[in-house]
Amino acid sequence: MTSLQDWLLDAHDRDDRRGLVALYREAADSTDDIDAACFYLTHAYIYALEMGDPAQDQIYLRLKAHGRV
Amino acid sequence: MAKDIPPQTLDAVRQPIEPANGLPNAHYIDPDVFAVERQAVLCATWAGLAVAADVPEPGDAKPMEFLGMPLLLVRDRQRRVRVFQNICRHRGMILVSEPKKIEGAIRCPYHSWCYSTSGKLVSTPHVGGPGHNTHDAIEKELLGLIEVRSHIWFDTVFINIDGTAAPFEEVHADLIARWSDFDQPLHHGGPDSTFILDVKTNWKLAVENYCESYHLPWVHPGLNSYSRLEDHYNINEKGKFSGQGTLVYRQLKGEDGTVFPDFAGLDAKWTEGGEYLTVYPNVLLGVQRDHAFVIVLEPVSHEETREHVHLYYATPQTDDALRAKNSVQWRGIFEEDVFVVEGMQKGRYAPDFDGGRFSPAMDGPTHCFHDWVAGKVAAHLAAP
Repeated sequence: MTSLQDWLLDAHDRDDRRGLVALYREAADSTDDIDAACFYLTHAYIYALEMGDPAQDQIYLRLKAHGRV
Repeated sequence: MAKDIPPQTLDAVRQPIEPANGLPNAHYIDPDVFAVERQAVLCATWAGLAVAADVPEPGDAKPMEFLGMPLLLVRDRQRRVRVFQNICRHRGMILVSEPKKIEGAIRCPYHSWCYSTSGKLVSTPHVGGPGHNTHDAIEKELLGLIEVRSHIWFDTVFINIDGTAAPFEEVHADLIARWSDFDQPLHHGGPDSTFILDVKTNWKLAVENYCESYHLPWVHPGLNSYSRLEDHYNINEKGKFSGQGTLVYRQLKGEDGTVFPDFAGLDAKWTEGGEYLTVYPNVLLGVQRDHAFVIVLEPVSHEETREHVHLYYATPQTDDALRAKNSVQWRGIFEEDVFVVEGMQKGRYAPDFDGGRFSPAMDGPTHCFHDWVAGKVAAHLAAP
C-alpha cells in the first residue's frame, strides 16, 4: 500500500502543487504532535498561497490558532 | 574614471551644431565609458525597459535583465504594472526564472518566502524554527520586494533605476503634449506584431540613426520612393527629445484596399503626417494615423544592442493579413538599418576618428541626442 510519504514524494516529483496542499493537510491531520502538524500545515499553506488556493484561509486560521503565523 | 572622459571632448559635443564634434570613440568601444554612461545616462533617467503588453493580465510575470540587473515585470492583482528587483529579500535568490502566471503568490524556490504581486512579503515559512513562521527579527512589512521606480506611457514601461530623476510627466511634458492626440488606448498587435533584432552596435548608434531622415534615400530607397527627403522635417527639442516627421505618410493597403482603422479624433495634420521620435535615452517611437510602434533598445553591452519592436493599432482586432504585411514591411525597414549601425560601430575603432561632424541642415536631431548624452555624462562626472 502506498504511504502518505510516497504520495507526497510523487506529488513533489510531478510538481503537483495543488495535490501537495491536500497531502500536507492530510499529513497534519494524521499526527497528534502540534509541532509536526504545524510543520505540515506550513507546507500546505505555502503551496496554497502560491497557487491562490482558497484553502489558504482555513490553513492560515489553523496556524494562527497555534500562534505560528 | 573621470580621466577617461576628458571634459573638452564633452565640451566639443555641446558646441552649436556647426562646429560641434560627435561623441568620441570611447563612448562606443570602451567598457569603462559604458559603465559611466550606464549610471549617468541609463540609470539616472527614465530608461525604457519593456512594454506593458508584455504582461497583459493580472498575475503575469516576466523576468528581465537590464544592464545586468535581474528585474521582474509584473502586473499585479489591481492591474498595475510594477517592476521589482527579481530577488528574494532573504538570501538574494532569483525569484522568477521564466515568464509565468502568478496564480497566488510569488514563492521563492529556495526557502519558499512568499510575496504578493504587489511586492508585499506575505509568508516566511519556518523562519522561527520548524512550523514557526514568524520571528521578531524578521519584520515582514520592511522586507517587501525592492520596487524599481516605474512609469507607463505610450504602453512603454520606463524605469528610473537610481530614483533621482524628476517625475516622468515633468521630464517629458513637452513630448506628452506634442503627442496628446495619441493619448488613447494603444492595442498591441499580438505575437505577429513583435520581433527582436540583435545588433552588434552600441545602443546610441541605433538612436542616432533613427533620429535623422538624412539616410532615408540611400538606405531605404523603397521607402523614399513615396516618402522623399524633402517631405521630412527635423524635430530638435534640445535637452528633451529629437527625431523626424514626414508630411506624406501613406496608409498600407491590403489586396482589397483594406486599411487599418484610424486612431480616434486625430488632428488633420495626421492625415498624411507621421512622426518618429526618440524618448531619451533608449526608446524609439513612431506614430501615424492608423498604427504606432515602440522600439525599446536594450543595451546588452558597449557593443551589443537588442531591439525589441512592438506594433500597435487603434482597435483590438485588425485584419490578420494586413497586420502581418505591416510587420514584414517594418521589419524590412529596420533590418535595412542594421548594416549602418554595425558599420558605424566598427568605424569607431578607427583611432583618428574625432566623433565626426554634423550637417547643420540634416543632422540636428542626432546632434541634439549627442548634446543630451554629453550633458548627462558631464553632470555625472561633476557631481561630488
